[in-house]
Formats: sequence, structure tokens, C-alpha cells
Amino acid sequence: MLTGRALSARLASLLLTLWLVSVLVFLAGQVLPGDVARVMLGPFADAQAVAALNRQLGADQPVLVQYWRWFSAALGGDFGTSLSMRAPVAPFVLASLGRSAALAGIILLFLVPLGVGAGIVAGLNQGRLADRLIVLAGVSFGIVPDFVSGLLLLLVFGLWLNWLPITGAAPDGAGFWTSGYYLILPALPLVLNLAGYLARMTRAGVIEALAADYTRTAILKGLGRRQVIVRHVLPNALTPTVAVLATQSGYMLGGLVVIEALFGIQGLGNLVLNAAKSRDFPMLEAGVLVMATIFVLSSAIGDLAQALLDPRQRRRASL
Amino acid sequence: MTKRNEIDTLRNLSGDIWNVAVDEYANGYLKRRDLLKYAAFIGLTGFAASHGLGFPGSARAAAGGGTVRVGLGQPTKAIDPVTVTDPASIGVLSQVGEYLILDDPKDGLQPKLALSWEADETAKRWTFKLRPGVKFHDGRTVTAKDVVASFERLVDPNSGSSALSAYKGILSKGGAKIVDDETVAFDLDQSNSNFPFYVSSDVYNAVILPADYAGDFEKNFNGTGPFKLESFRPKQGASFVRNPDYWGDKALPDRVEIKFFDDEQAQVVALQAGQLDVIPSTTRLELAIEGNPNFKLLSVQASSHDAVHLRTDQAPFTDKRVRRALALTLDREAIVKGLLKGRAVAGNDTPFAPIFPSADPSVPQRRQDIAEAKRLLAEAGVPNGFEVTLTTERAYDIPDYAVIIQNFAKKAGIDIKLNVLPQDAYYGSATFGSSPWLDSNLGITDFGHRGTPDIFLNATLKSDGAWNAAHFKNADYDALLAEYGKARDLQAQRVAAGKIQALLLDETPEIISYFSQYSRISSAKVEGVRFTAISHLLLDRVSFVQA
Repeated sequence: MLTGRALSARLASLLLTLWLVSVLVFLAGQVLPGDVARVMLGPFADAQAVAALNRQLGADQPVLVQYWRWFSAALGGDFGTSLSMRAPVAPFVLASLGRSAALAGIILLFLVPLGVGAGIVAGLNQGRLADRLIVLAGVSFGIVPDFVSGLLLLLVFGLWLNWLPITGAAPDGAGFWTSGYYLILPALPLVLNLAGYLARMTRAGVIEALAADYTRTAILKGLGRRQVIVRHVLPNALTPTVAVLATQSGYMLGGLVVIEALFGIQGLGNLVLNAAKSRDFPMLEAGVLVMATIFVLSSAIGDLAQALLDPRQRRRASL
Repeated sequence: MTKRNEIDTLRNLSGDIWNVAVDEYANGYLKRRDLLKYAAFIGLTGFAASHGLGFPGSARAAAGGGTVRVGLGQPTKAIDPVTVTDPASIGVLSQVGEYLILDDPKDGLQPKLALSWEADETAKRWTFKLRPGVKFHDGRTVTAKDVVASFERLVDPNSGSSALSAYKGILSKGGAKIVDDETVAFDLDQSNSNFPFYVSSDVYNAVILPADYAGDFEKNFNGTGPFKLESFRPKQGASFVRNPDYWGDKALPDRVEIKFFDDEQAQVVALQAGQLDVIPSTTRLELAIEGNPNFKLLSVQASSHDAVHLRTDQAPFTDKRVRRALALTLDREAIVKGLLKGRAVAGNDTPFAPIFPSADPSVPQRRQDIAEAKRLLAEAGVPNGFEVTLTTERAYDIPDYAVIIQNFAKKAGIDIKLNVLPQDAYYGSATFGSSPWLDSNLGITDFGHRGTPDIFLNATLKSDGAWNAAHFKNADYDALLAEYGKARDLQAQRVAAGKIQALLLDETPEIISYFSQYSRISSAKVEGVRFTAISHLLLDRVSFVQA
């Protein structure tokens, strides 16, 4: 099993990563042209008003001072006040995280059965027509960028057939099911895009497991085909798949800027993009930190899950 | 009534200023519509109604009810009337906030929270009578105190007000005064006969707010408008319901539902899918609905333009013959037809758009004349042309416009290199010395609609103007500008305008080759959508066409 020392090392590297991210984002913000008040008031605003607003916002302070103020407050759990929204940052970040999570949930709901199922079918039928079709379809959908397939799906299912709502944002006061229904169309491009990759990972795992000694032993023991596959092949074959899924979940919780824009979903990706555009450092910092945390955590969870599933990995991880 | 009788009646309505306009009308210089606009401008309200010249559409009965669904861009920051600048926020604000005066693109200045207004002899003191009994959404009555506080806030440099540059040199802190509960006076920094425009919707920040407004508008959207807040979800959208206590005709629709979009493509798709009724318009979106009878493209005339500045203090444009030569290479009609799909009018290298009543139409229109351009270049000592860099922003139709200018200039041997920057990089810090906009030798800058040319004339061309990208320093011009500001009647304004237009044609510090219209796209199912060229969206008269 994982030792306590390995865990604390992992945690320390996680915190170090997040701290570095916060420094980098702050520095990047300083390199961007223009200042906060100028962006907020527009190019035609009076210089006096711009200076006054910068003073009010504390944006006229040296970078280090700004960073320290933000960092020390964040340590105490206060992520500050959004410069552009003039309201605490945390509720905005939480709300958009919630919307991204809902989208990611719907994606996983379709992605896992489709990708894993197709991968298993392909792996068990290696070289046959079904296998070749699945691999071909997977590669084809995989190379279509999500904003292209997003637009196509939007045109077909939203406009021509009129089956699905074309925005991801459900109306005010919509319930759980309605909100989910609104997210189906935005989820599909990602499902198509990622399913192929997931299927290929699963397929490779299945083929490897089929060729492994323990499978041969199981067959020689006289187990039925179904039992061999369920008990011996799949548990071993799905180990890398789990790691892939964990990494992709990180991506889904913040990397979907284009899809979010296309379907009007105010998720984390959009939040960070808009914060960068409006030079809203507290919002940008908090958004990026949440995204970074999710990335680092999901890859750590991926490793952990893999270690739990695979005895070889387990030994390596506890070194 | 015969025209003669009508004119006699008109003369009896008001003083000298008015009679000048009546004379112009009698002699055929002023169109009936412009006379109406002018009547509203000098505060002669009720004039139109009393003469059976009712404003079109105002009395039409229509079926009420329903929800108008609107798509808008993403507001760039918290919605606060004092700091607002982006079109989406102005669209939201229009549902709840009102001005003393509305500058209607069709009918000119329309009294809203002000009933009437007048200036003293010098046009330095303006007095506004307020509409009695108007209530904020929270139930309190609007008084002179609220109006004065609203303007004092806008001219306070510490309030973060976006209107500060609009009021610079016109109105300062302490300038707005309470006369009595229903009367407000403004003592201006200098005479300005166009001041009513400055308290109108033209300065979109000039929404009348309660005196104790603390900058937290998003909490309750407390205004005086025909709709009041139902719910607001930051970054997502807002909904409004009919205000039953509205002072004027109650809104026809029950509700307005606004959704924010980060992507304009998504807006047009939502419109096409029947999930929206009204969206903003851009050239790209217009292509998507062209020829489709389910949608309408609505346009209003505007003074929006893309100004090409030529730095008068830097080679090669120190010689005005060179500046004129470049202006002469442009085929303005072709630009209007091609680039702007006909939804624009040709400009004449001055900010006096034809929609301004004060513009002097007798100043000859500059047309393409390559031979003359070449002759001027030869006279200036550059017969074989020259090389120059055109710096501009990647926004709207501007990059295409830059290429068009490049091609036309080639005809006279002028070789233009393009330097197209992201919008915020182009504006830079918007101060001289650290802004490609204000420092470039040759550049194109977009200016949105204004109801009067004053701010363009003052900020972009006056010697000490804050946006004087041409670095144009001309004492004659400054003097003419003062003359224009003091002119109290239309005729005097037009005389001064004519002189300014002639001077700018001769000097050519700026090329303004078109004034574009402002458009929105709506579903064919809705009627009565009104808007201004600076993004106000008025939905209280919207009704649904029965299929």
C-alpha cells in the first residue's frame, strides 16, 4: 500500500505546484497590456477617473504588495473581491465550478459506457470488422475538434430536428432533470471526441490481458469464456483506462472554454477567460487555482486508483 | 390648415430661437421632421401633439402580454449605471433605468423624467422642469435632489464615472443645483447650446438614480423604467416584469428575459431555433439571416464612424496637400456599398454626420479624384508617392476597411503597410506616449454614435483634445469651435458648422469616409422593438404578431 511518506510527499508537491501556479498567473497578469481601471472604464474614459479607480482597487500598488495582499488573504480562505464584479470571488468560482461539474457529469455518463464498451467489443474482436470500424470511428471523431462537431450537432439536433435546446444554460429555476436535459447537446461533442481515445486505451488493455499468462492459465483451468473475461481480463484491462478517465475529468472541469462559449454555459473555463480579459486578478487567480487543483488532484486520484487496481504499480508507488 | 396659416401659428409658439427654425421650415431649408426634432430640442414639448403631428407609433393600440426573450453579449463587469460602458450592460440597463431625456433616433429628444427645459441668454445656465410623481421601483418619489445627486456623481472623478470625459469642460462638480423639488438648474463651465443632449440617453451613464445610491445597482436594479427586476443571475442573465407603477404608458409585454452569451454565433443559432426574439447585429450575423423571412434586420441612422487620423506633426502628413491626396484616393460610395452593404452614408472628412441638424449640407462632398491626388503629391514634392504604416485595431469591419484604404492609396502611388493590433493593445493606456491609437502616424479608430458632434469635435480635433490622435493644432479651428458652442439657434450653428467643415476639408487631419447605421436582428414575430444607436434597447412597446 501507499506509505504515509509517499502521501505527504505527494501533498507537498501538490501545494508547491499550486503556489507556483499562483505566482505565474500573477506575473502573467502583469505582462498583459493595459491596466484594470482602463479596461473597466474603456479607452475613452478620462485619465483622472482611471487613476481614481486604480487607487480604489489597489491596482496602483507594486506587484509584490498586490500579490502578498492576495496571498495572505487566500491563506485565510478569503479569495478577495472581484475587481470587475465588485463582489466576493468565491461564490462566482463555486457557481461556475458547479456548472462545469454538471457538464462533466453528463459527459462521463455517456462517455464511460460508450468508450469502455466499444473498447471491450473491439479488443475481444481484434482484427475483425467490428474492431476496425470502432477504431476507425474513434480516430475519426477524435480528430474533429469539439467546436466543429459542436456546431454540427447544434445545427442538426438543435436547429433542423429541434430535438434539443441549443443553449446549455437552463432557464431560471429549472430542476435537476431539466438542467441535465439542457446539457446533453453541449456534452455530445466531448463524448464523441474523447470516446475514441478511451476505446483505444481499453482495447489495448483488453488485448494485452487476453494475451497474458494469467488469462491462458484461467482458460486452461477450464473457466468459461464469460468468466475469463469478467474475472480476469477486464479488471486488468481497465487499469490504464481509469488513469485516462481521471486525467480527462480534469480537462472537463475547466478546459472546455470553446464548448462553454458555444452553448452559453458559465463554467470555470469561461470564468477564467473573462477574468483574464477584464484583468480581474482575484477572479483569475481563484479560477486558475481551482482548475490547477482539480488537474493535480485528478491525476493524483488516477495514480492512486491505478495503484489500487494494479499490484505492480502499488509496489512502485510505495517506494 | 394651409402652410401659411400653419407657419403663423408656429411663430406664436415660442421666442426668437424658435422663429429662426420656423423661417427655415417656411423657406424649405428644414424638413418637417427636423422641425419636430428641433421643437423637442428647445423644450417645446406638446407642440407636436397639439398640431396633430403625433409621433409615429405612439398611439397605436397593440395586444399586450408575453415574454420578450433577448440575447446580449456578456457584460464585462458588474452592471452599474455610473461605470457602464459595454453594449450588453446598456441593453440591460435600458429596461429599468431612465434619463431626463431620451434621444430617440427617429424623433429626436423626447422628454422622459424632464418635462421641459430652457437656457438663459448665454446658454450657460440650463433649467429643467421635472415630471412630477415619478416613482423609483422601491416606491420613493423622484425629486430634484435625486437628479442633482445623479449628475454630481457622474462628474466626480472619484466615483469611477465613465461619463467624466463627456462632461469635461462642460459640467463640473457643483454645477448641478436644486431650484425647487421639481426644478433643476445646471451652471455650465462654458456656453453650450447642445446641453440637453448631455443629460439625455446620449450620455448613457446619466441614468437618474436615488440620491443615496451606493454603487450596488445589481442588488435591486432600482430605477424608474417601465420594467422592474424579477431576477438577476450574474454572468447568466436577468429577467424583468412590467412595472405597474410606471408614470407613462404601461409596458405591453409581461416580462423581458435576457440571456448573456460569450459567443455571437450562439446568439444567432438561438434566434434561429426560436429561443430568442431579439439579438444584436454584426455583419457576420446578418449573413446568417439574409433572405430568411422569419427574421428582420432593424436599423437606425447613427453618427458612428471609423476615423482615420493623419498625424499632422509627423512626416509625411505635415503637408496638408499630402493629407488631402490620401483622402482623395477613396471611393466613398464604393466603401458604403461594398464594406457596409449600403447601411451607411458617405462622410465628408468631418464629424458632422448628415443626421445632425446643425451640419451644413452645402459644403461640397469630397469624391475620389486620383488625378488631383497625384497632382497634390507632386506639388508637395512626392510625385512618386511614399511608404507609410497604418496602425489599427482588430475589431468590427476595421481590418477590411484598412485593406480597402491600402488598395485605393496604391492608385496614387502611396504604399501602405498594415499593422493590425488586438483592440486593447491598440488603445494601450489611452494617453499620449503609450498608446498606438494616439501615437501612430496613421491609424483607424472606431467611434460610437453620439447625438451631437460636440464630443468628436472637442476631444479628437481641438488642440488640447484628449483623443487628438492627429495631433492637430489649429487656432482657427479652436476659435470656430468656440463660436459653434455659443451659437444659440440652428442657423447660427449651421453657419459655424459650415466654416468648421470647410476648414477640416482643407486641412484634413482626419478622413471620415462613412457614418454607419446601427442594427439589431429580431424575429419576424415581434413588433415594436426600438433601440438607440448607443445600445439602448427599449422593449415596452413590443407586441407579438399572431401567426
